Amino acid sequence: MSLSEPAVEKTIPTAVAEKTTSKSRARGLLGNQQFILLLVWFAMIALFTYLNHIFFSVEVAGNILSDWSPVVLLATGETFVVISGGIDLSVGAVLGFSGVIGAYVMQWMTTNKFEAPITLAAGLVTCALVGLGVGLINALLINKARLVPFIATLATLGAAGGMSIVLTGGGPIAGGPPTAISLSVPWLGPFSTPTLVTIGVVILCGLFLHLARFGRYTYAIGSNAFAARAAGINVQRQITKIYALSGLLAGLAGMYLYLRLGSGSPTSGQGAELDAIAAVVIGGAALSGGEGRMTGTVLGAFILTTVTSGLIIIGVAPNWKQVVVAVLIAGAVSIQQLRRSSGRAA
Amino acid sequence: MSSATHDSAPLYEVRNVSKHYGAVVALDDVSMKIHAGEVVGLVGDNGAGKSTLVKVLSGAHQPSHGQILLDGIERHWKSPHDALEAGIETLYQESGLAPHLSVSANVFLGREEVRSGVLGKLGFLAQKSMDVRAHADLERVGIAVPSSSRSVSQLSGGQRQAVAIGRAVAWAKKVIILDEPTNHLGARQAGEVLEVIKAAKEQGLGVIFISHTLPHVLSVTDRIVVLRLGRIVRDAPTSEFNADTLLGTITGLITT
Ligand SMILES: Nc1ncnc2c1ncn2[C@@H]1O[C@H](COP(=O)(O)OP(=O)(O)O)[C@@H](O)[C@H]1O
Ligand SMILES: [Mg+2]
Repeated sequence: MSLSEPAVEKTIPTAVAEKTTSKSRARGLLGNQQFILLLVWFAMIALFTYLNHIFFSVEVAGNILSDWSPVVLLATGETFVVISGGIDLSVGAVLGFSGVIGAYVMQWMTTNKFEAPITLAAGLVTCALVGLGVGLINALLINKARLVPFIATLATLGAAGGMSIVLTGGGPIAGGPPTAISLSVPWLGPFSTPTLVTIGVVILCGLFLHLARFGRYTYAIGSNAFAARAAGINVQRQITKIYALSGLLAGLAGMYLYLRLGSGSPTSGQGAELDAIAAVVIGGAALSGGEGRMTGTVLGAFILTTVTSGLIIIGVAPNWKQVVVAVLIAGAVSIQQLRRSSGRAA
Repeated sequence: MSSATHDSAPLYEVRNVSKHYGAVVALDDVSMKIHAGEVVGLVGDNGAGKSTLVKVLSGAHQPSHGQILLDGIERHWKSPHDALEAGIETLYQESGLAPHLSVSANVFLGREEVRSGVLGKLGFLAQKSMDVRAHADLERVGIAVPSSSRSVSQLSGGQRQAVAIGRAVAWAKKVIILDEPTNHLGARQAGEVLEVIKAAKEQGLGVIFISHTLPHVLSVTDRIVVLRLGRIVRDAPTSEFNADTLLGTITGLITT
């Protein structure tokens, strides 16, 4: 660290100073996408409550949280991936696949009279390892086989999703500890233990994204991979860590859903990757990389799951959710475009 | 043909280096050296092999043949990281900065300072300290930034280039390689870049300066190496060139 070598006397104040334009002020207003998201979310809650007072209750909040948790777990991993300039399409399939494998392990252990806590711990570790494994395969396909992330993770989506169906024949795998499902019961207001763990994991990931070297390298690679490499960053190693993390979190989401359903369902994660990507994009991340915040992802996931619950409660066919989500994505992306054209006229 | 002006041992040297891209011979038996406190200009037509030589010198590419010596010791760079660690800083023609990151994040990219204790072990960053030091170190090499916590995307092209060069000079311990650093810059900004190069020379660094703007090369270098179709066709003190003879050597109209 010798940034402080012998001082050079000759100082030429170069022109990096200069103008703060009115444009940058306009950008400040539009720029705080998190604030807009928070307003949108509050407005949604107010609207649904106005339409049906039942909406504003601990029960509904608990429901929203248990929808939100698996989505935000996937979306947290997806946030790192998207900021690095990639995409992970496999997370939904990994959720289902890890839940199924975990369910088999817990079924076997229960049949063989293992204690419930040990069985559940083994299930958790299994789900995490299965997720981690698929994440590492993604990284291998991207780094070594040189596939673009879209194709690499599309391949593992197909493989993991297909294997879940083949192994199970399409039905859920039950027979685990009978106490499993009771873990998902909220005990702290609307919060259950798995939800609290999820929140802890997301906060931890947010700290690593915004305050640690891990996040710094993630942004750098998505912003300018060439510059990152030139700065001595081991880009391949960082990519490996990012996809491994994404897989690991998808595995945890698999366990979350197992605890909620009391079984491992091969179809439980189908299409969940789209919810995860939607949450990330609504949260303000750019699919071109380099941009995004964990608070945005958290709010994006809340907005998605609030819409779903709200529509059901006010009696709208749940399929309208897709339409609302599409509108939200379009709105979020056009705000980004506005910001960019107002802020970067360089 | 070689530089007789330096009696001291060369700081950095390549010997008989070749580089092939498939059938393309980008560098053919190239040998050159640079001494501490010396500015060497590297010139040549488009496709002459300048950027390829830069990548070999900076560890981004491995030469197909030949040796690389730093302080007289043969080195084998496996990645830019190896060369950076050894004190060789490079500003690539196409690299630039990470626009989404702040000025100080760019200055410290790949060399982040971490907090003390357990948080540091986990890679948590000492951001405040880096902001302050980035500002001070850029100022030291002659580049003033209003706020080093500002995102690079908010800087103009010239400002970005100034930060990129400042970063390289601030970190360099031995050699700094600048691939067309004055491209796309206005006259005033280019003049400032040349001042930064002179400051780096005074600091005792070896500077390799690549440019198509021959007046810049003639004004700031001690020696000029002319590449043509992957070969060195002339290596002589700058005093032996004028604008016409340098251009003639580059285009091949003048041969020695
Ligand atoms: N990555 C690459 N793959 C194939 N050919 C390359 C590559 N990089 C450079 N070349 C070729 O090598 C030669 C030298 O290029 P370069 O070093 O970029 O020249 P210069 O910087 O002097 O313009 C050119 O013919 C160029 O097309
Ligand atoms: Mg070039």
